[in-house]
Amino acid sequence: MIELELRDLAVHLDVPPAPPVAGAVRARIARARRHRRVLAIALAIGIFALAVAFAVPSSRASLLRFFHVRGATVTIVDKLPRLTPRAPLGAPVRMDAPPFRLLLPNGRRPEQVYAGDGGYWLRYRGLLLFEFESGDGATLIKKAALGRTDVEYVDVRGEPAIWIGSRHAVYLPGGPPRAAGHVLIWQHGPLTLRLEASVVASRRSQSHGASADHLEPSTSWLSASATPPRNLEVA
Amino acid sequence: MQSPDEETLVERARRGDPDAFEALVVSYQPLAFRTAFVIAGDAADAEEAAQDAFVKAHRALGRFRSGEPFRPWLLTIVANEARNRRRSRGRRAALALRAADPGAPGEDPEAAALASERRKRLLTAVERLRDDDREVLACRYFLDLSEEETAAALGIARGTVKSRTHRALGRLQEELA
Repeated sequence: MIELELRDLAVHLDVPPAPPVAGAVRARIARARRHRRVLAIALAIGIFALAVAFAVPSSRASLLRFFHVRGATVTIVDKLPRLTPRAPLGAPVRMDAPPFRLLLPNGRRPEQVYAGDGGYWLRYRGLLLFEFESGDGATLIKKAALGRTDVEYVDVRGEPAIWIGSRHAVYLPGGPPRAAGHVLIWQHGPLTLRLEASVVASRRSQSHGASADHLEPSTSWLSASATPPRNLEVA
Repeated sequence: MQSPDEETLVERARRGDPDAFEALVVSYQPLAFRTAFVIAGDAADAEEAAQDAFVKAHRALGRFRSGEPFRPWLLTIVANEARNRRRSRGRRAALALRAADPGAPGEDPEAAALASERRKRLLTAVERLRDDDREVLACRYFLDLSEEETAAALGIARGTVKSRTHRALGRLQEELA
């Protein structure tokens, strides 16, 4: 009896009509999804940064910042590891040995090409150019630099690049950290290139022609049209 | 038991189809709001609780077991949200009867007045019950939930629903005596 009365009471209760919440729910879900995506990206970057930091022994617990282009990462640390002298560049090979077309400064042939460190070293008088295929996204070159080092993102004809303006440590596959000086690393098509020379960066406009000791910053600097981001003079 | 259509919608929603989840929200928003209102006693709280419950349900869809009924699962979330709001408010607003409730056509006005008086007394008695007694009666009789759904909404065993309902009806009789 009382159950029937309770059911009857339900019909007479003053319950407001249900407001439509579907729109608000949909908007909140979309917002949360965007938020989660941003968090996931931030987390991925964080994990990546930590992975990079822990891959560079000396920088454990001291990662300050990092720079990355495809195939290469520069970690800013508070202490450089003990550096070893440069190791041999690898086995001398013919110009046509690499499975990709080498980029050549002004189309000039190097003194010698070497296969080593997961890529190809091109030795010129006063500079070393290292080229490797980076299309798979794997990081081949790791570098550690002190916070006071001049490291910055630049771009080389629209491709991301990193300029390192002073002494730092470079880790190539399987080897100990070595000392390196002024370096420009940049992407070009499926390749990543690393140019190391005893150079000074100059923001002065240059118009000299290329010579063995001088690199003109023009579109012809590399035969395959890579241009350094700034004027480079071989010291 | 859910319809094959609903099962399909739930599955699609689980796979990330926003339209499928929205269809579920549209279908369940009256029940979700009414459930939240009966528990929280406040329309604004009930709307918030319903909205939050749907958002949380969407987030928890991955943990929803395929083939299980969706309605009691959702009611559990809605009831939790409503109870949280009631607790944070510190008290629950009392339910009320609709104002100027008209009698049925041709109904004896005196009988209608007596019925209305009787309802008022009954509602007052329900409101004086302990929260757990009141909630089980509200789920079973105001919301017309099954024992299984009541158990899900209140987070208690089905057997407890039976015994608590029995006890609450007894106390209600005492209140009315």
